[in-house]
Amino acid sequence: MFAQIAAGVGMTVSITGASLLIGALLGLPLVAARRSAWTPLRTLATAYIDIVRTIPPITWLFLIYFGLPQYALRLDSVSASIIGFSMIASAYMAETYRSGLLSIPQGQWEAATALGMKFLPKTRYIITPQAFKVTLPAIAAYAISLLKDSALASTIGVHEITYQAGLVSRATHQGLLAFSIAGLLYIAMSIPLALAARRVDRVLRQKLEVA
Amino acid sequence: MEIATERAASPPTVGGVKVLGLHKSYGKHAVLHDVNLDMAEGEVVSIIGPSGAGKSTFLRCLNYLEVPTAGTITIGDTTVDAGARRPDRASLDRLRRVTGMVFQNFNLFPHLTVLENITLPQMKVLGRSREEANAVADSLLNRVGLAAKSDQHPSRLSGGQQQRIAIARALALSPKVMLFDEPTSALDPELGLEVLAVMRDLADEGMTMIVVTHEMHFARDVSDRVMVMADGRVLELGPSEQVMTAPTHERTKKFLRAVLDR
Repeated sequence: MFAQIAAGVGMTVSITGASLLIGALLGLPLVAARRSAWTPLRTLATAYIDIVRTIPPITWLFLIYFGLPQYALRLDSVSASIIGFSMIASAYMAETYRSGLLSIPQGQWEAATALGMKFLPKTRYIITPQAFKVTLPAIAAYAISLLKDSALASTIGVHEITYQAGLVSRATHQGLLAFSIAGLLYIAMSIPLALAARRVDRVLRQKLEVA
Repeated sequence: MEIATERAASPPTVGGVKVLGLHKSYGKHAVLHDVNLDMAEGEVVSIIGPSGAGKSTFLRCLNYLEVPTAGTITIGDTTVDAGARRPDRASLDRLRRVTGMVFQNFNLFPHLTVLENITLPQMKVLGRSREEANAVADSLLNRVGLAAKSDQHPSRLSGGQQQRIAIARALALSPKVMLFDEPTSALDPELGLEVLAVMRDLADEGMTMIVVTHEMHFARDVSDRVMVMADGRVLELGPSEQVMTAPTHERTKKFLRAVLDR
């Protein structure tokens, strides 16, 4: 029974990892747009972020999986869930980046500007390393929450942990055991993520505070 | 306006500064009215005056950290005309290349060591190699007396030490003019002295300097001229000794009485 449920681990990890990665990358241009001085672009980015975050993840999945085929696009359930979660992750990551950027004192930008540093080196060498340290705990927390949300993909038939547990439960009538195993698997995957984040956070802090 | 035209016709000597008719307003609220300044290379000008006078705003316009509304700024052979709707990037880059700025709150990069604070801008802005940048940094750290701290992070240093590093960081890019924005205001008096000593040496070596300050001794003893500002205007600009001991403007007298008789 355990083996059959654990067979979903790979899919859970793939969906979570892919969505997190795509979301983290899409979040970069998104936060740039969100902070743009050009109002139409800023408004568009703000609207995207707000709309994406206001609609429940499961509604997004249904919209993409059951809604899109009505017009054009028929997606398999794995692609649909990765697209849905990536969209949601991009909005959350953009907001996380934004709060990280806001935490950097204005004087850091000004000092780099006064030294003649252009946008790219300034962003890469001065701002990002400092913002990363501030946002890391939030990113780790979001990764864990995305890991849990990925269970929603079972509703459109993705063979991840929760879907597998459902199959086992129906076949054996041992729902308590099946879903407990699924729960334990999520815990087992979250713990290393949390520990790793804590460790990186601690190292970065030491690097900053202790010479 | 004839005078202004005549002044504009003569460019400053290399490394000099010429500011003509600088205006700055936020919407309808004007914070700088027609500020003019003409400095020879190697000259030191202190800007004093009550808070809210526009001293820092003026200084920050010189390297475009603040965007002036009108006027021209010439430093060395680089001129930026604020009347133009959008100054081209190349001019702004040159303007920042020839100016070095020291801030009230130091603004060192906390994630970098002292050495990296001084070498990174050299490598990224001037394209120096790591070896060249290290050599420049070492010699500057010796000059500000902090060679022993090169591997520390800024948070381990006192405010006075941080400000001396910030001066070294700016000098490493070989600016023609150094802009100091209340460099000792965030420091307790003793730590302020070590920063002032470095600035005094710099002035002696012939660096062109503009210093916004509340340090009246520095203004009188180190600077060649003192510029007094209030309400976004220049009240007077003259030889330090004269402005500090025999000011002509009533507002200046009142300000000097307030800061000296305490």
